[in-house]
Amino acid sequence: MKKGDFKQIPPGVTEIILESISDGVFTVDHKWRITSFNRAAEKITGIPREEAIGKHCWEVFRSSICETDCALRRTMKQGKPFVDSSTYIVNYEKNRVPVVVCTSLLKDEKGTVVGGVETFRDMSLVEELRRKLDARFQVGDMVSRSPSMHKIFTVLPQVADSDSTVLIQGETGTGKELLARAIHELSPRRQKPFIAINCGALPDTLLESELFGYKAGAFTNAIKDKPGYFALAEGGTIFLDEINDVSAAFQVRLLRVLQERTFHPLGATRTVKADVRVIAASNKSLADMVKTGAFRQDLFYRINVVPLALPPLRERKEDIPLLVDRFINRLNLLRGKTVAGIRQEALSLLMSHNYPGNIRELENIIEHAFVLCPKGRIEPNCLPDSLINPIPRAPVHETIDAALKSVETHAILDSLKRNSYNRLATARDLGMHKTTLFRKIKSLGIDLPEIDGRSNRKKLVKVASTQL
Amino acid sequence: MKVALTVWENRISPVFDSARMLLIAEIENAMIVGKRYEPFQPDLPFYRAATLFELGVTVLICGAVSHLFANMIEACGIRIIPFVAGEANEILDAYLKQMPVSRIFRMPGCRNRRRNRFNRRMRFQKI
Repeated sequence: MKKGDFKQIPPGVTEIILESISDGVFTVDHKWRITSFNRAAEKITGIPREEAIGKHCWEVFRSSICETDCALRRTMKQGKPFVDSSTYIVNYEKNRVPVVVCTSLLKDEKGTVVGGVETFRDMSLVEELRRKLDARFQVGDMVSRSPSMHKIFTVLPQVADSDSTVLIQGETGTGKELLARAIHELSPRRQKPFIAINCGALPDTLLESELFGYKAGAFTNAIKDKPGYFALAEGGTIFLDEINDVSAAFQVRLLRVLQERTFHPLGATRTVKADVRVIAASNKSLADMVKTGAFRQDLFYRINVVPLALPPLRERKEDIPLLVDRFINRLNLLRGKTVAGIRQEALSLLMSHNYPGNIRELENIIEHAFVLCPKGRIEPNCLPDSLINPIPRAPVHETIDAALKSVETHAILDSLKRNSYNRLATARDLGMHKTTLFRKIKSLGIDLPEIDGRSNRKKLVKVASTQL
Repeated sequence: MKVALTVWENRISPVFDSARMLLIAEIENAMIVGKRYEPFQPDLPFYRAATLFELGVTVLICGAVSHLFANMIEACGIRIIPFVAGEANEILDAYLKQMPVSRIFRMPGCRNRRRNRFNRRMRFQKI
Protein backbone atom coordinates (compact mmCIF):
# COMPACT_ATOMS: atom_id res chain seq x y z
CA MET A 1 0.00 0.00 0.00
CA LYS A 2 1.29 3.43 -0.92
CA LYS A 3 1.70 6.07 1.72
CA GLY A 4 -0.96 8.24 0.12
CA ASP A 5 -3.51 5.38 0.14
CA PHE A 6 -3.83 5.46 3.96
CA LYS A 7 -7.39 6.30 4.96
CA GLN A 8 -8.54 7.71 8.30
CA ILE A 9 -10.74 5.31 10.28
CA PRO A 10 -14.28 6.70 9.99
CA PRO A 11 -16.07 7.74 13.19
CA GLY A 12 -18.19 5.00 14.73
CA VAL A 13 -15.70 2.24 13.97
CA THR A 14 -14.35 2.36 17.53
CA GLU A 15 -17.80 1.45 18.79
CA ILE A 16 -17.98 -1.50 16.39
CA ILE A 17 -14.57 -2.68 17.60
CA LEU A 18 -15.59 -2.34 21.25
CA GLU A 19 -18.77 -4.33 20.58
CA SER A 20 -16.88 -7.13 18.87
CA ILE A 21 -14.13 -7.80 21.43
CA SER A 22 -14.44 -10.39 24.21
CA ASP A 23 -13.04 -8.12 26.95
CA GLY A 24 -15.54 -6.13 28.97
CA VAL A 25 -15.11 -2.37 28.68
CA PHE A 26 -16.86 0.46 30.50
CA THR A 27 -16.16 4.14 30.95
CA VAL A 28 -17.00 6.44 33.86
CA ASP A 29 -17.25 10.21 34.30
CA HIS A 30 -15.77 12.20 37.18
CA LYS A 31 -18.70 11.24 39.42
CA TRP A 32 -17.99 7.51 38.87
CA ARG A 33 -21.15 7.09 36.85
CA ILE A 34 -21.01 4.65 33.94
CA THR A 35 -21.14 6.40 30.56
CA SER A 36 -20.62 3.40 28.25
CA PHE A 37 -20.83 -0.36 28.66
CA ASN A 38 -19.93 -2.80 25.87
CA ARG A 39 -21.50 -6.14 24.97
CA ALA A 40 -18.79 -8.26 26.60
CA ALA A 41 -19.25 -6.27 29.82
CA GLU A 42 -22.96 -7.13 29.66
CA LYS A 43 -22.11 -10.79 29.16
CA ILE A 44 -19.52 -11.02 31.95
CA THR A 45 -21.46 -9.07 34.58
CA GLY A 46 -24.91 -10.27 33.50
CA ILE A 47 -26.19 -6.68 33.58
CA PRO A 48 -27.93 -5.15 30.53
CA ARG A 49 -26.41 -1.93 29.23
CA GLU A 50 -29.57 0.13 29.76
CA GLU A 51 -29.48 -0.73 33.48
CA ALA A 52 -25.76 -0.07 33.85
CA ILE A 53 -25.54 3.35 32.17
CA GLY A 54 -25.80 6.20 34.68
CA LYS A 55 -25.23 3.98 37.73
CA HIS A 56 -22.20 4.16 40.01
CA CYS A 57 -19.53 1.83 38.68
CA TRP A 58 -19.19 -0.10 41.99
CA GLU A 59 -22.92 -0.96 41.96
CA VAL A 60 -22.50 -2.51 38.52
CA PHE A 61 -18.99 -3.95 38.60
CA ARG A 62 -19.16 -5.22 42.24
CA SER A 63 -15.56 -6.36 42.53
CA SER A 64 -13.68 -7.20 45.72
CA ILE A 65 -11.30 -4.26 45.15
CA CYS A 66 -14.00 -1.57 44.60
CA GLU A 67 -14.03 -0.54 48.25
CA THR A 68 -10.43 -0.92 49.30
CA ASP A 69 -8.16 -0.72 46.27
CA CYS A 70 -10.09 0.49 43.23
CA ALA A 71 -7.78 0.43 40.19
CA LEU A 72 -9.81 3.11 38.40
CA ARG A 73 -9.62 5.43 41.42
CA ARG A 74 -5.83 4.95 41.52
CA THR A 75 -5.62 5.75 37.81
CA MET A 76 -7.70 8.91 38.20
CA LYS A 77 -5.65 9.99 41.21
CA GLN A 78 -2.19 9.25 39.85
CA GLY A 79 -2.95 9.94 36.19
CA LYS A 80 -1.36 6.71 35.00
CA PRO A 81 -2.75 3.39 33.74
CA PHE A 82 -2.75 0.16 35.76
CA VAL A 83 -2.65 -3.24 34.10
CA ASP A 84 -3.55 -6.76 35.17
CA SER A 85 -4.99 -6.27 38.64
CA SER A 86 -6.49 -9.62 39.63
CA THR A 87 -9.81 -9.60 41.44
CA TYR A 88 -13.26 -11.17 41.35
CA ILE A 89 -16.72 -9.80 40.77
CA VAL A 90 -19.90 -11.15 42.38
CA ASN A 91 -22.79 -11.67 39.96
CA TYR A 92 -26.50 -11.88 40.78
CA GLU A 93 -26.29 -15.68 41.00
CA LYS A 94 -23.95 -15.07 43.98
CA ASN A 95 -21.06 -16.56 42.01
CA ARG A 96 -17.58 -15.14 42.11
CA VAL A 97 -16.24 -14.48 38.61
CA PRO A 98 -12.43 -14.09 38.55
CA VAL A 99 -11.35 -11.16 36.37
CA VAL A 100 -8.20 -9.29 35.41
CA VAL A 101 -8.63 -5.52 35.26
CA CYS A 102 -6.79 -2.79 33.32
CA THR A 103 -7.55 0.91 33.79
CA SER A 104 -6.53 4.14 32.09
CA LEU A 105 -7.61 7.77 31.79
CA LEU A 106 -10.25 8.77 29.25
CA LYS A 107 -9.32 11.98 27.40
CA ASP A 108 -11.07 14.03 24.73
CA GLU A 109 -9.49 15.39 21.50
CA LYS A 110 -7.94 18.30 23.42
CA GLY A 111 -6.34 15.99 25.99
CA THR A 112 -8.68 16.97 28.81
CA VAL A 113 -9.45 14.12 31.19
CA VAL A 114 -13.16 13.36 30.91
CA GLY A 115 -13.19 10.21 33.01
CA GLY A 116 -11.70 6.73 33.18
CA VAL A 117 -11.91 3.52 31.21
CA GLU A 118 -11.80 0.03 32.66
CA THR A 119 -11.34 -3.15 30.68
CA PHE A 120 -11.75 -6.56 32.29
CA ARG A 121 -11.28 -10.13 31.17
CA ASP A 122 -13.21 -13.15 32.44
CA MET A 123 -10.65 -15.59 33.87
CA SER A 124 -13.12 -18.36 34.82
CA LEU A 125 -11.79 -20.76 32.20
CA VAL A 126 -8.17 -20.08 33.15
CA GLU A 127 -9.01 -20.64 36.82
CA GLU A 128 -10.78 -23.88 36.01
CA LEU A 129 -7.81 -25.12 34.02
CA ARG A 130 -5.48 -24.10 36.86
CA ARG A 131 -7.62 -26.04 39.33
CA LYS A 132 -7.48 -29.09 37.07
CA LEU A 133 -3.71 -28.77 36.80
CA ASP A 134 -3.41 -28.46 40.57
CA ALA A 135 -5.55 -31.56 40.98
CA ARG A 136 -2.86 -33.53 39.14
CA PHE A 137 -0.53 -32.82 42.05
CA GLN A 138 -2.99 -33.89 44.71
CA VAL A 139 -4.23 -37.19 46.05
CA GLY A 140 -6.37 -37.08 49.16
CA ASP A 141 -4.68 -34.63 51.50
CA MET A 142 -1.26 -35.09 49.88
CA VAL A 143 0.21 -32.61 47.45
CA SER A 144 3.42 -33.02 45.51
CA ARG A 145 5.09 -32.04 42.27
CA SER A 146 8.06 -34.36 42.69
CA PRO A 147 8.54 -37.21 40.19
CA SER A 148 9.06 -39.77 42.99
CA MET A 149 5.72 -38.87 44.57
CA HIS A 150 4.07 -38.75 41.16
CA LYS A 151 5.01 -42.38 40.64
CA ILE A 152 3.14 -43.22 43.84
CA PHE A 153 0.16 -41.03 42.86
CA THR A 154 -0.04 -42.80 39.48
CA VAL A 155 -0.25 -46.31 40.91
CA LEU A 156 -2.39 -45.32 43.90
CA PRO A 157 -5.82 -45.87 42.23
CA GLN A 158 -4.83 -49.43 41.23
CA VAL A 159 -3.34 -50.08 44.67
CA ALA A 160 -6.50 -48.77 46.33
CA ASP A 161 -8.74 -50.81 44.06
CA SER A 162 -7.01 -54.06 44.96
CA ASP A 163 -7.57 -55.51 48.40
CA SER A 164 -3.89 -56.34 48.95
CA THR A 165 -1.95 -55.52 52.08
CA VAL A 166 0.20 -52.41 51.64
CA LEU A 167 3.47 -51.63 53.34
CA ILE A 168 4.35 -47.93 53.50
CA GLN A 169 7.93 -47.14 54.41
CA GLY A 170 9.33 -43.71 55.03
CA GLU A 171 11.01 -41.56 57.64
CA THR A 172 8.98 -40.05 60.42
CA GLY A 173 6.84 -37.11 59.29
CA THR A 174 6.72 -38.05 55.60
CA GLY A 175 2.95 -38.53 55.61
CA LYS A 176 2.51 -42.28 55.93
CA GLU A 177 -0.87 -41.98 57.61
CA LEU A 178 -2.06 -39.48 54.98
CA LEU A 179 -1.08 -41.95 52.26
CA ALA A 180 -2.89 -44.78 54.06
CA ARG A 181 -5.97 -42.57 54.40
CA ALA A 182 -5.76 -41.66 50.69
CA ILE A 183 -5.64 -45.37 49.78
CA HIS A 184 -8.71 -46.00 51.96
CA GLU A 185 -10.58 -43.02 50.46
CA LEU A 186 -9.90 -44.28 46.93
CA SER A 187 -10.76 -47.90 47.73
CA PRO A 188 -14.15 -49.64 47.51
CA ARG A 189 -14.03 -49.74 51.34
CA ARG A 190 -14.24 -45.93 51.63
CA GLN A 191 -17.78 -46.01 53.12
CA LYS A 192 -16.51 -48.22 55.96
CA PRO A 193 -14.26 -47.18 58.87
CA PHE A 194 -10.58 -46.28 58.65
CA ILE A 195 -8.84 -46.99 61.94
CA ALA A 196 -5.25 -45.99 62.60
CA ILE A 197 -3.25 -47.37 65.50
CA ASN A 198 0.32 -46.69 66.53
CA CYS A 199 1.79 -50.08 67.43
CA GLY A 200 4.90 -48.51 68.97
CA ALA A 201 2.87 -46.54 71.50
CA LEU A 202 1.39 -49.54 73.35
CA PRO A 203 2.90 -52.45 75.26
CA ASP A 204 2.19 -55.94 73.90
CA THR A 205 -0.63 -56.92 76.26
CA LEU A 206 -2.48 -53.66 75.77
CA LEU A 207 -1.95 -53.77 72.00
CA GLU A 208 -3.44 -57.23 71.89
CA SER A 209 -6.60 -56.21 73.76
CA GLU A 210 -6.87 -52.99 71.72
CA LEU A 211 -6.52 -54.76 68.36
CA PHE A 212 -8.46 -57.96 69.01
CA GLY A 213 -10.74 -56.93 71.90
CA TYR A 214 -11.65 -59.08 74.89
CA LYS A 215 -14.51 -60.99 76.45
CA ALA A 216 -16.02 -60.29 79.86
CA GLY A 217 -14.00 -62.07 82.54
CA ALA A 218 -10.89 -62.40 80.39
CA PHE A 219 -8.92 -60.58 83.10
CA THR A 220 -9.54 -58.58 86.27
CA ASN A 221 -11.90 -55.62 85.65
CA ALA A 222 -12.95 -56.96 82.23
CA ILE A 223 -16.59 -56.67 83.25
CA LYS A 224 -18.06 -56.62 79.76
CA ASP A 225 -17.10 -57.51 76.19
CA LYS A 226 -14.99 -54.94 74.36
CA PRO A 227 -14.60 -55.08 70.60
CA GLY A 228 -11.07 -54.53 69.28
CA TYR A 229 -9.97 -52.30 66.42
CA PHE A 230 -10.13 -55.24 63.99
CA ALA A 231 -13.82 -55.70 64.85
CA LEU A 232 -14.51 -51.95 64.73
CA ALA A 233 -12.85 -51.67 61.31
CA GLU A 234 -15.05 -54.47 59.90
CA GLY A 235 -15.37 -53.98 56.14
CA GLY A 236 -12.93 -51.05 56.26
CA THR A 237 -9.20 -50.50 56.64
CA ILE A 238 -6.89 -50.79 59.61
CA PHE A 239 -3.62 -48.85 59.58
CA LEU A 240 -0.84 -50.33 61.72
CA ASP A 241 1.72 -47.55 62.12
CA GLU A 242 5.28 -48.23 63.34
CA ILE A 243 4.86 -51.96 62.85
CA ASN A 244 8.65 -52.23 63.18
CA ASP A 245 8.24 -51.59 66.93
CA VAL A 246 6.08 -54.61 67.77
CA SER A 247 7.67 -57.43 69.75
CA ALA A 248 8.66 -60.77 68.24
CA ALA A 249 5.83 -62.49 70.14
CA PHE A 250 3.21 -60.11 68.81
CA GLN A 251 4.57 -60.43 65.29
CA VAL A 252 3.51 -64.09 65.42
CA ARG A 253 -0.07 -63.12 66.37
CA LEU A 254 -0.21 -60.55 63.58
CA LEU A 255 1.08 -63.10 61.10
CA ARG A 256 -1.76 -65.43 62.03
CA VAL A 257 -4.36 -62.70 61.50
CA LEU A 258 -2.91 -61.76 58.12
CA GLN A 259 -2.58 -65.36 56.98
CA GLU A 260 -5.91 -66.72 58.10
CA ARG A 261 -7.92 -63.53 58.18
CA THR A 262 -9.25 -64.52 61.60
CA PHE A 263 -8.44 -63.32 65.11
CA HIS A 264 -9.02 -64.44 68.63
CA PRO A 265 -10.35 -61.90 71.16
CA LEU A 266 -8.82 -62.30 74.63
CA GLY A 267 -10.80 -64.82 76.66
CA ALA A 268 -12.86 -65.95 73.64
CA THR A 269 -13.31 -69.59 72.77
CA ARG A 270 -13.99 -69.03 69.07
CA THR A 271 -12.10 -67.22 66.38
CA VAL A 272 -13.67 -64.25 64.63
CA LYS A 273 -13.45 -63.60 60.89
CA ALA A 274 -11.82 -60.31 59.94
CA ASP A 275 -12.92 -58.61 56.73
CA VAL A 276 -10.38 -55.82 57.09
CA ARG A 277 -7.77 -54.46 54.74
CA VAL A 278 -4.42 -54.02 56.45
CA ILE A 279 -2.06 -51.16 55.67
CA ALA A 280 1.18 -51.28 57.65
CA ALA A 281 3.82 -48.59 57.97
CA SER A 282 7.37 -48.51 59.18
CA ASN A 283 9.84 -45.70 59.69
CA LYS A 284 12.78 -48.13 59.33
CA SER A 285 13.73 -50.45 56.52
CA LEU A 286 11.99 -53.73 57.38
CA ALA A 287 14.22 -55.57 54.90
CA ASP A 288 17.28 -54.47 56.93
CA MET A 289 15.53 -55.46 60.15
CA VAL A 290 14.85 -58.89 58.68
CA LYS A 291 18.56 -59.21 57.86
CA THR A 292 19.53 -58.39 61.43
CA GLY A 293 16.81 -60.69 62.78
CA ALA A 294 14.87 -57.86 64.44
CA PHE A 295 11.77 -58.55 62.31
CA ARG A 296 10.25 -61.87 61.31
CA GLN A 297 10.88 -62.77 57.70
CA ASP A 298 7.50 -64.51 57.22
CA LEU A 299 5.58 -61.49 58.54
CA PHE A 300 7.67 -59.20 56.34
CA TYR A 301 6.75 -61.16 53.22
CA ARG A 302 3.13 -61.27 54.35
CA ILE A 303 2.85 -57.47 54.63
CA ASN A 304 5.26 -56.54 51.86
CA VAL A 305 2.70 -57.30 49.13
CA VAL A 306 2.52 -53.77 47.73
CA PRO A 307 5.46 -51.75 49.07
CA LEU A 308 5.32 -47.96 48.78
CA ALA A 309 8.34 -45.87 49.77
CA LEU A 310 7.70 -42.26 50.73
CA PRO A 311 10.73 -40.08 50.00
CA PRO A 312 11.94 -37.72 52.74
CA LEU A 313 11.31 -34.00 52.23
CA ARG A 314 15.00 -33.26 51.62
CA GLU A 315 14.75 -35.42 48.46
CA ARG A 316 11.71 -33.53 47.15
CA LYS A 317 12.41 -29.95 48.03
CA GLU A 318 10.46 -28.79 44.97
CA ASP A 319 7.36 -29.54 47.07
CA ILE A 320 8.25 -27.01 49.78
CA PRO A 321 6.53 -23.97 48.14
CA LEU A 322 3.40 -26.07 47.48
CA LEU A 323 3.33 -27.41 51.04
CA VAL A 324 3.98 -23.96 52.53
CA ASP A 325 1.02 -22.53 50.59
CA ARG A 326 -1.15 -25.37 51.79
CA PHE A 327 -0.15 -24.93 55.45
CA ILE A 328 -0.70 -21.17 55.23
CA ASN A 329 -4.21 -21.67 53.80
CA ARG A 330 -5.06 -24.27 56.42
CA LEU A 331 -3.76 -22.18 59.33
CA ASN A 332 -5.54 -19.08 58.00
CA LEU A 333 -8.79 -21.05 58.14
CA LEU A 334 -8.08 -22.56 61.55
CA ARG A 335 -6.80 -19.42 63.26
CA GLY A 336 -8.84 -16.81 61.40
CA LYS A 337 -5.70 -14.99 60.24
CA THR A 338 -4.93 -13.33 56.94
CA VAL A 339 -1.36 -14.35 56.15
CA ALA A 340 -1.02 -13.68 52.41
CA GLY A 341 2.02 -15.88 51.73
CA ILE A 342 5.73 -16.04 52.30
CA ARG A 343 8.53 -13.69 51.26
CA GLN A 344 11.10 -15.03 48.81
CA GLU A 345 13.94 -14.61 51.35
CA ALA A 346 12.04 -16.66 53.93
CA LEU A 347 11.23 -19.32 51.33
CA SER A 348 14.94 -19.50 50.40
CA LEU A 349 15.76 -20.21 54.06
CA LEU A 350 13.15 -22.98 54.10
CA MET A 351 14.57 -24.44 50.89
CA SER A 352 18.09 -24.58 52.33
CA HIS A 353 17.03 -26.54 55.45
CA ASN A 354 17.59 -30.30 55.68
CA TYR A 355 14.30 -31.31 57.43
CA PRO A 356 15.19 -34.30 59.61
CA GLY A 357 11.56 -34.11 60.84
CA ASN A 358 10.26 -33.95 57.25
CA ILE A 359 6.82 -32.44 56.47
CA ARG A 360 5.80 -32.38 60.13
CA GLU A 361 8.82 -30.18 60.85
CA LEU A 362 7.91 -27.84 57.97
CA GLU A 363 4.35 -27.59 59.28
CA ASN A 364 5.64 -26.70 62.74
CA ILE A 365 7.93 -24.03 61.25
CA ILE A 366 4.96 -22.42 59.47
CA GLU A 367 2.90 -22.61 62.67
CA HIS A 368 5.77 -20.88 64.51
CA ALA A 369 5.79 -18.18 61.81
CA PHE A 370 2.03 -17.69 62.25
CA VAL A 371 2.53 -16.79 65.89
CA LEU A 372 4.97 -14.01 64.99
CA CYS A 373 3.42 -12.98 61.65
CA PRO A 374 -0.39 -12.84 62.00
CA LYS A 375 -0.90 -10.99 58.69
CA GLY A 376 0.92 -9.89 55.56
CA ARG A 377 3.67 -12.15 54.27
CA ILE A 378 5.90 -14.38 56.39
CA GLU A 379 9.26 -12.62 56.81
CA PRO A 380 12.60 -14.36 57.47
CA ASN A 381 12.59 -13.03 61.05
CA CYS A 382 9.30 -14.88 61.72
CA LEU A 383 11.05 -18.23 61.20
CA PRO A 384 12.71 -20.16 64.06
CA ASP A 385 16.25 -19.10 65.01
CA SER A 386 17.65 -22.50 64.05
CA LEU A 387 16.68 -21.76 60.44
CA ILE A 388 17.97 -18.20 60.37
CA ASN A 389 21.41 -19.20 61.73
CA PRO A 390 21.68 -22.85 60.72
CA ILE A 391 25.46 -23.32 60.72
CA PRO A 392 27.86 -21.02 62.54
CA ARG A 393 29.83 -19.72 59.58
CA ALA A 394 33.53 -18.99 59.62
CA PRO A 395 34.31 -15.33 60.32
CA VAL A 396 34.85 -13.29 57.16
CA HIS A 397 38.37 -12.27 58.09
CA GLU A 398 39.56 -15.90 58.31
CA THR A 399 42.12 -17.24 55.90
CA ILE A 400 41.11 -19.50 53.02
CA ASP A 401 42.71 -22.49 54.80
CA ALA A 402 40.54 -21.97 57.89
CA ALA A 403 37.42 -21.62 55.75
CA LEU A 404 38.22 -24.86 53.89
CA LYS A 405 38.82 -26.66 57.18
CA SER A 406 35.47 -25.43 58.50
CA VAL A 407 33.65 -26.70 55.41
CA GLU A 408 35.47 -30.06 55.62
CA THR A 409 34.55 -30.41 59.30
CA HIS A 410 30.85 -29.80 58.59
CA ALA A 411 30.83 -32.21 55.65
CA ILE A 412 32.46 -34.99 57.69
CA LEU A 413 30.21 -34.42 60.72
CA ASP A 414 27.06 -34.41 58.56
CA SER A 415 28.09 -37.60 56.80
CA LEU A 416 28.97 -39.29 60.12
CA LYS A 417 25.52 -38.44 61.49
CA ARG A 418 23.87 -39.72 58.32
CA ASN A 419 25.73 -43.01 58.60
CA SER A 420 25.14 -43.47 62.34
CA TYR A 421 28.85 -42.75 63.04
CA ASN A 422 29.97 -45.77 61.02
CA ARG A 423 33.43 -44.67 59.81
CA LEU A 424 33.64 -47.02 56.84
CA ALA A 425 30.22 -46.04 55.52
CA THR A 426 31.12 -42.37 56.04
CA ALA A 427 34.35 -42.77 54.06
CA ARG A 428 32.41 -44.42 51.24
CA ASP A 429 29.78 -41.68 51.42
CA LEU A 430 32.43 -38.96 51.14
CA GLY A 431 34.29 -40.81 48.38
CA MET A 432 37.56 -41.24 50.28
CA HIS A 433 39.56 -44.10 51.76
CA LYS A 434 38.90 -44.89 55.42
CA THR A 435 42.51 -44.06 56.36
CA THR A 436 42.12 -40.62 54.73
CA LEU A 437 38.95 -40.12 56.79
CA PHE A 438 40.72 -41.10 60.04
CA ARG A 439 43.63 -38.77 59.17
CA LYS A 440 41.22 -35.89 58.49
CA ILE A 441 39.23 -36.54 61.70
CA LYS A 442 42.50 -36.40 63.64
CA SER A 443 43.94 -33.35 61.88
CA LEU A 444 40.67 -31.36 62.05
CA GLY A 445 40.25 -32.27 65.73
CA ILE A 446 36.73 -33.65 65.29
CA ASP A 447 35.35 -35.06 68.54
CA LEU A 448 33.52 -38.31 67.95
CA PRO A 449 30.95 -39.86 70.27
CA GLU A 450 31.66 -43.23 71.85
CA ILE A 451 29.13 -45.05 69.69
CA ASP A 452 29.99 -46.08 66.17
CA GLY A 453 28.17 -47.99 63.43
CA ARG A 454 30.31 -51.08 64.00
CA SER A 455 29.52 -51.45 67.69
CA ASN A 456 25.80 -51.01 66.91
CA ARG A 457 25.91 -53.68 64.28
CA LYS A 458 27.72 -56.07 66.58
CA LYS A 459 25.12 -55.51 69.27
CA LEU A 460 22.28 -56.09 66.81
CA VAL A 461 23.88 -59.30 65.54
CA LYS A 462 24.32 -60.43 69.16
CA VAL A 463 20.63 -59.66 69.93
CA ALA A 464 19.53 -61.44 66.78
CA SER A 465 21.58 -64.54 67.54
CA THR A 466 20.19 -64.75 71.08
CA GLN A 467 16.61 -64.42 69.72
CA LEU A 468 17.19 -67.18 67.19
CA MET B 1 -33.67 -6.52 67.23
CA LYS B 2 -30.40 -5.59 65.61
CA VAL B 3 -30.03 -4.77 61.94
CA ALA B 4 -26.55 -4.66 60.41
CA LEU B 5 -25.62 -2.86 57.18
CA THR B 6 -22.21 -3.25 55.55
CA VAL B 7 -21.23 0.35 54.82
CA TRP B 8 -18.64 2.26 52.87
CA GLU B 9 -18.61 6.09 52.71
CA ASN B 10 -22.20 6.17 54.11
CA ARG B 11 -23.33 3.85 51.33
CA ILE B 12 -23.88 0.14 51.28
CA SER B 13 -20.62 -1.67 50.48
CA PRO B 14 -20.69 -3.00 46.93
CA VAL B 15 -19.46 -6.47 47.97
CA PHE B 16 -20.20 -8.00 51.36
CA ASP B 17 -17.27 -10.45 51.08
CA SER B 18 -14.74 -7.58 51.19
CA ALA B 19 -16.69 -5.04 53.30
CA ARG B 20 -14.73 -3.41 56.13
CA MET B 21 -17.36 -1.66 58.26
CA LEU B 22 -20.70 -2.52 59.83
CA LEU B 23 -23.42 -0.11 60.83
CA ILE B 24 -25.44 -1.72 63.61
CA ALA B 25 -28.86 -0.30 64.36
CA GLU B 26 -30.81 -1.40 67.42
CA ILE B 27 -34.54 -1.23 66.73
CA GLU B 28 -37.38 -1.28 69.25
CA ASN B 29 -41.01 -0.64 68.35
CA ALA B 30 -40.06 0.50 64.82
CA MET B 31 -37.67 3.13 66.30
CA ILE B 32 -33.89 3.26 66.23
CA VAL B 33 -32.73 3.26 69.88
CA GLY B 34 -29.01 2.95 69.18
CA LYS B 35 -26.64 3.13 66.23
CA ARG B 36 -22.95 2.33 66.12
CA TYR B 37 -20.19 1.43 63.71
CA GLU B 38 -18.19 -1.78 64.12
CA PRO B 39 -15.05 -2.67 62.16
CA PHE B 40 -15.62 -5.83 60.16
CA GLN B 41 -12.15 -7.23 59.57
CA PRO B 42 -12.05 -10.99 59.20
CA ASP B 43 -12.13 -12.17 55.59
CA LEU B 44 -13.13 -15.77 56.11
CA PRO B 45 -16.79 -16.79 55.72
CA PHE B 46 -17.02 -18.59 59.05
CA TYR B 47 -15.54 -15.69 61.04
CA ARG B 48 -17.73 -13.11 59.27
CA ALA B 49 -20.83 -15.12 60.10
CA ALA B 50 -19.60 -15.70 63.68
CA THR B 51 -18.97 -11.96 64.19
CA LEU B 52 -22.51 -11.11 63.10
CA PHE B 53 -23.90 -13.84 65.33
CA GLU B 54 -21.88 -12.65 68.34
CA LEU B 55 -23.11 -9.10 67.79
CA GLY B 56 -26.67 -10.40 68.01
CA VAL B 57 -27.58 -9.31 64.47
CA THR B 58 -30.87 -10.75 63.17
CA VAL B 59 -31.09 -8.97 59.80
CA LEU B 60 -28.24 -8.12 57.45
CA ILE B 61 -28.64 -5.60 54.62
CA CYS B 62 -25.73 -5.77 52.19
CA GLY B 63 -24.57 -5.46 48.60
CA ALA B 64 -23.47 -8.37 46.42
CA VAL B 65 -22.66 -11.49 48.43
CA SER B 66 -21.19 -14.78 47.29
CA HIS B 67 -22.78 -18.17 47.97
CA LEU B 68 -20.36 -19.35 50.63
CA PHE B 69 -20.74 -16.22 52.76
CA ALA B 70 -24.53 -16.12 52.30
CA ASN B 71 -24.92 -19.76 53.28
CA MET B 72 -22.75 -19.37 56.38
CA ILE B 73 -24.73 -16.34 57.54
CA GLU B 74 -28.10 -17.95 56.89
CA ALA B 75 -26.90 -21.04 58.75
CA CYS B 76 -26.44 -18.76 61.80
CA GLY B 77 -30.14 -17.86 61.60
CA ILE B 78 -29.53 -14.36 60.21
CA ARG B 79 -31.87 -13.08 57.49
CA ILE B 80 -30.06 -11.49 54.54
CA ILE B 81 -31.39 -8.74 52.29
CA PRO B 82 -28.67 -8.86 49.60
CA PHE B 83 -27.88 -6.91 46.41
CA VAL B 84 -28.93 -3.59 47.91
CA ALA B 85 -27.29 -0.29 46.85
CA GLY B 86 -27.66 3.29 48.02
CA GLU B 87 -27.37 5.59 51.07
CA ALA B 88 -27.26 3.58 54.29
CA ASN B 89 -29.53 5.93 56.28
CA GLU B 90 -32.15 6.09 53.52
CA ILE B 91 -32.21 2.31 53.37
CA LEU B 92 -32.50 2.05 57.15
CA ASP B 93 -35.42 4.51 57.15
CA ALA B 94 -37.15 2.52 54.42
CA TYR B 95 -36.62 -0.68 56.41
CA LEU B 96 -38.16 0.93 59.51
CA LYS B 97 -41.19 1.96 57.46
CA GLN B 98 -41.44 -1.67 56.32
CA MET B 99 -40.94 -0.66 52.70
CA PRO B 100 -39.65 -3.33 50.26
CA VAL B 101 -35.94 -2.47 50.55
CA SER B 102 -34.78 -5.22 48.22
CA ARG B 103 -37.04 -3.88 45.45
CA ILE B 104 -36.52 -0.13 45.93
CA PHE B 105 -32.76 -0.18 46.43
CA ARG B 106 -31.81 -3.18 44.33
CA MET B 107 -28.50 -3.21 42.52
CA PRO B 108 -28.53 -2.96 38.70
CA GLY B 109 -29.14 -6.23 36.90
CA CYS B 110 -30.85 -7.84 39.86
CA ARG B 111 -34.41 -7.67 38.57
CA ASN B 112 -35.54 -11.21 37.76
CA ARG B 113 -37.93 -10.42 34.92
CA ARG B 114 -35.47 -8.22 33.07
CA ARG B 115 -32.55 -10.52 33.82
CA ASN B 116 -34.39 -13.42 32.28
CA ARG B 117 -35.25 -11.37 29.23
CA PHE B 118 -31.60 -10.28 28.99
CA ASN B 119 -30.34 -13.83 29.38
CA ARG B 120 -32.76 -15.01 26.71
CA ARG B 121 -31.45 -12.29 24.40
CA MET B 122 -27.85 -13.25 25.19
CA ARG B 123 -28.52 -16.90 24.44
CA PHE B 124 -29.45 -16.22 20.84
CA GLN B 125 -26.82 -13.61 20.10
CA LYS B 126 -23.22 -14.61 20.01
CA ILE B 127 -20.50 -12.12 20.89
